[in-house]
Amino acid sequence: MEALEHPPIFRLPGIPDHVTYTWLVMVILAAITFAASRNLQLVPRGLQNFLEVVLEQFMQMIDDVMGHEGRRYLPLLATLGLFILTSNLMSLVPGLAGPTGNLNTTAACAIVVFVAYHWIGVRKQGALTYLKHFAGPVPLALKPLMFVIEIISHLARPLSLTLRLFGNMVGGHILLAVIFLLMGLDGLIGWALSGSAVGAVVGGIGGAITIVFTVGFLYPLKILVAFLQAFIFVMLTMLYISGAIEEAEHHSEHH
Amino acid sequence: MRRSLILGGVAVLVFPTAARAADGGAGSWIGPFAVIAAGIGMAIAAGLCGLGQGRAVASAVDAMARQPGAAARIQTAMIIGLALIESLAIYTLVIALILLFVKGIQFS
Repeated sequence: MEALEHPPIFRLPGIPDHVTYTWLVMVILAAITFAASRNLQLVPRGLQNFLEVVLEQFMQMIDDVMGHEGRRYLPLLATLGLFILTSNLMSLVPGLAGPTGNLNTTAACAIVVFVAYHWIGVRKQGALTYLKHFAGPVPLALKPLMFVIEIISHLARPLSLTLRLFGNMVGGHILLAVIFLLMGLDGLIGWALSGSAVGAVVGGIGGAITIVFTVGFLYPLKILVAFLQAFIFVMLTMLYISGAIEEAEHHSEHH
Repeated sequence: MRRSLILGGVAVLVFPTAARAADGGAGSWIGPFAVIAAGIGMAIAAGLCGLGQGRAVASAVDAMARQPGAAARIQTAMIIGLALIESLAIYTLVIALILLFVKGIQFS
């Protein structure tokens, strides 16, 4: 992929780009939250007001999906959501690299989710009860088969979380890189500037169409995808956590 | 025209030496096939994923038109479903990226 995409402008020697820009995202988020919470007021203004609106949105989503008791998991969910959203949006800025465009970052997020929801489930219902749920409500003869299938489906969850975020981001990056390659000085605009009459007409019109297409369609689409993928990641995390804690009530009804 | 294209494709599939000759005689015939496989696989995955997502969105919009009050919940469920359908195409995209960009696959 290095053949297509230009490396980011600022690089630390010896440190991979996604790690550098993960630190940048951490610095941005920490600075914003520090500046907003340094001088808390009862009637919020400015930055504090903005962050409160953001967190209210998260809380409303949690209330809708997990019920009121899901608010305990707001720190995990909001941190994941804000980190992924900031990373996705940062990958759209030319000259910066997005941490979520690398498989390691998304795998780290997905593994955190995987460990967290199993940990929450075990804490909520105890290890044995939690393990029993993998067998599901089927006859005794089918339980070993069901157990294996459930284990595989649970192992597929972090895989699909990882690959969904990574694939969406990298697919968009490759699309933009190919469009820029077609549009740039090696492509249509270069042809327009080359001096030939045909090139000036075809390359000029084609370059203008490509620029309008990129700015007017591809970038809004990628911003939408950035928000959507962060939303989906957080939403699936909520569903997994509520699946891990809800089964307690289900099971107690059966017995 | 179409027949000659099909014949050409069959010829490339049957006689890998032709592809090897086109590759500059480096003795690597996995690379061209990796590119072909990435393109065809991504096309099939994108087309069928589009069909599936179209069905999902069609019934979601139908349900929203019947029950405007429940539009928000239906929309949330639809987005989650779309993400789960889309991840199948994303798997193919990842396979295509591996075929195209991972150096180890192009046994030289």
